Amino acid sequence: MSGDHIHAEPTNFFRKHVFSVDHKVIAKQFLWFGLVWLGIGGIMAMLIRWQLANPGDPVPVIGSFLFPRTGGVIDPATYNTLFTMHGTIMIFLGLTPLIIGCVGNWAIPLMIGARDMIFPLLNCLSFWTVFAGGCVGFYSLFVPLGATEAGWTGYPTLSTTVNGLGSGETLWAIAVFLIGASSIMGGINYMTTVIRLRAPGMTWGRLPLTVWGLFLTSALNVLFIPVIGSAMLLLIMDRVFGTTFFVPASIMQGGGGGDPILYQHLFWIFGHPEVYILILPAWGIIGDLLSFFARKPAFGYRAQVGAMTAVTVLSAVVYGHHMFTTGLSAMLGESFMLLTMIISVPAEILFFSWLHTIWRGNIRFTVPMLWSVGVIFVFGLGGLTGIYCATIGTDIFLHDTYFIVGHFHLTMAASALFAAFGAIVFFFPKMFGRMMSPLLGKLHFWLTIIPLVSVFCMMFVMGYAGMPRRYYDHTSMEFLASLQHMNKAATHMAFLLGSAQLIFVFNFIKSRWFGKPASTNPWEVGTLDWQTETPLPHYNFKDIPTVVTGPHEFSHPALPEGRDWISMTEELPSA
Amino acid sequence: MKLHTKMMQRLTSLWTSGITRASLGLAILCGMAPEALAGGKRWGPVPFASDFGYRFEDLFWLITWLCVGSFSIVVIMILIPSVRDRYKPGRKAHFDHGASLKDKRLATVISAATFLVLDAWVLVIAMTDLREAWWNIPESEEAGVYEVEVLAQQWAWNFRHKGADGKFGTADDILQMNELTVPNGRSVSFQGTSKDVIHSLFIPAMRFKKDFNPGDINSVWFKPITAGNYTILCAELCGYAHYQMFGELHVLESDTFDNWAADASELGVAAYDSEDTEARWAWDWKE
Repeated sequence: MSGDHIHAEPTNFFRKHVFSVDHKVIAKQFLWFGLVWLGIGGIMAMLIRWQLANPGDPVPVIGSFLFPRTGGVIDPATYNTLFTMHGTIMIFLGLTPLIIGCVGNWAIPLMIGARDMIFPLLNCLSFWTVFAGGCVGFYSLFVPLGATEAGWTGYPTLSTTVNGLGSGETLWAIAVFLIGASSIMGGINYMTTVIRLRAPGMTWGRLPLTVWGLFLTSALNVLFIPVIGSAMLLLIMDRVFGTTFFVPASIMQGGGGGDPILYQHLFWIFGHPEVYILILPAWGIIGDLLSFFARKPAFGYRAQVGAMTAVTVLSAVVYGHHMFTTGLSAMLGESFMLLTMIISVPAEILFFSWLHTIWRGNIRFTVPMLWSVGVIFVFGLGGLTGIYCATIGTDIFLHDTYFIVGHFHLTMAASALFAAFGAIVFFFPKMFGRMMSPLLGKLHFWLTIIPLVSVFCMMFVMGYAGMPRRYYDHTSMEFLASLQHMNKAATHMAFLLGSAQLIFVFNFIKSRWFGKPASTNPWEVGTLDWQTETPLPHYNFKDIPTVVTGPHEFSHPALPEGRDWISMTEELPSA
Repeated sequence: MKLHTKMMQRLTSLWTSGITRASLGLAILCGMAPEALAGGKRWGPVPFASDFGYRFEDLFWLITWLCVGSFSIVVIMILIPSVRDRYKPGRKAHFDHGASLKDKRLATVISAATFLVLDAWVLVIAMTDLREAWWNIPESEEAGVYEVEVLAQQWAWNFRHKGADGKFGTADDILQMNELTVPNGRSVSFQGTSKDVIHSLFIPAMRFKKDFNPGDINSVWFKPITAGNYTILCAELCGYAHYQMFGELHVLESDTFDNWAADASELGVAAYDSEDTEARWAWDWKE
């Protein structure tokens, strides 16, 4: 199928390192890009936490540099910008490039035995489009009349000119549009590559779960990013050309006949699948990693694939649960509540499979394994608290409180981030030919999961106590001031969480250049990516391998003494 | 490089010692302790003061116990293999694809249990609650219903009472800003919209919230059961001073309320200015 799919090795610097069409280089570009934005989004989170714990106090050290106009104090407009851009950056510029851009580009061709993506030039364009989107987003922070302040959801009419005339919001919409376009390019590329370029013998039933997760995510990207793209275009037209898609007639400032709720439907038809866009690769990755390090076959491989597919199908028909308080009709509300509840069945199948995968294994607690078990833990917490949000009777109170903030950070953000960390540490030896320090990795893991779980569990209590989200200052009224102690505690934990990430930065940079040289297959796993040489040759595989065994045949009884794994290209001895 | 190796070795021995790990955990706990131990703090919601408030609490705690139960199973299923099945060289893991009929049956049973216990149980209670409480908005004709119109704006709550003549949009209407006075024990029914951006009326003590959107009218209701003062918040991001958009709800016993309403209606007539079109917002009650 894929034998002649090759392009010449580039000779000049630009074609090799900048506008490269090689999936391995593009994966590394996505990795660095994602990590830088993760850092920027993380610093924003720290600033948000500072303001919440010490409302109106100047930010120490970096404050006077970042906010010279106010002497280091975060004003309400800046605060709104911070949480808006924190959300946008973390989702679109941090996690998406890492878990889809980097892991997808790296893992898909190598794991299915291909020499590159099927559309290498489109792949290059995909990276440079998201790069442009990032630049526009960053530039939007510095325009006169202020950056976006309408939340990462950008609800009209707050995001239309009814609220602000500055170009920040328009640039934000353009940035999201560009990033979306990049994701569509990636999605088309990933799907076609998986369908067309699998090595001989790499049947759908032998695809590593990582590839399955990325494949399903790509389907969601291709289907639903166009919806947010159109919402952004309509918003831009409302802002720039004076149309009134989302501006209703009763608005004083010369409104038209539009409907702000229309935007919410468009946004969440994309927005809910977006949760699964980030979580499906995470599920796939940990499905593989748990099996790799428990030295056991992935339990219920077909059930896991089926469950992920079911979630993919259900993803768009549950979006209404974001809109329970908007005046959605009772019939729609109850339907969306029921459909949302149904998601718990495939989710339960996944938990069942993961927990059985590690049960009676021979578990190597390497750093990727720790992150994978961490995903089970935080996704368990996040998923179960989803029941409160799906149930209208409790959501009526908890909606738009910190309960929601805690819930989605654990479900989507922490799970995807943990899986991304696990994947980075796991693929690092093949990417850079060196090992990351396991010691620093373990320290980083524990200093991340403990404060992270404390911060977001604290938010469940705050939300239940009635603290609304997106408030600049909780001390200006007695009702919320009595909860301020939890804000302070959460901030302490968040700062610990933030500083622990420096361990990762140090470990990553140090290991990239000075780490212990890695062997060809340091994790002793059978998937095709680890059967290649380190460093990888330009075409990955001199000869396209023929796959004869599944990806997870660990500890097979027929394997010789002292060996608990088998390459996908080797026949099982008993056969 | 040598110094570096030495440092790493020292770090390794430090990390592997139980004392380091224990003191790390202790330090993290201590970071939270001063805040946790100080008095005069609230750790949960204010007591509910509406007749459907208990429904929220009951459902919340039912889900909480179901979650605690399910999550405990997950944690145990992580902990047991983490301790028992740690890597030992030479030992082979149990070889199992989990594709046997027994496994499929087990997965099916657990799925069914998840759906029937976790989902269906919560779902049935929630549906009942919605029909009997939150969505059971009282009709205008029902005896004792007290109606209020709400106009949200950046950044204030405007409330309009019918006043003495029992009609909205007349001179004797009572207008309140960031303050709402209602009678205890009567169903209070709201219709609301917004002047500019989306706002959300959130009265935590009454256990409800509802978005008020520009260009559309939304309805919501509650029935106070305890007289007192309660906080009104805006729960939907509405711009610069979103966090300052709060008000106070006064629930008065019915005789006190009647006196207040009569006085306020008279004051309303006295202050009525037919030129002031800004203040004359109102609509016919939407059935």
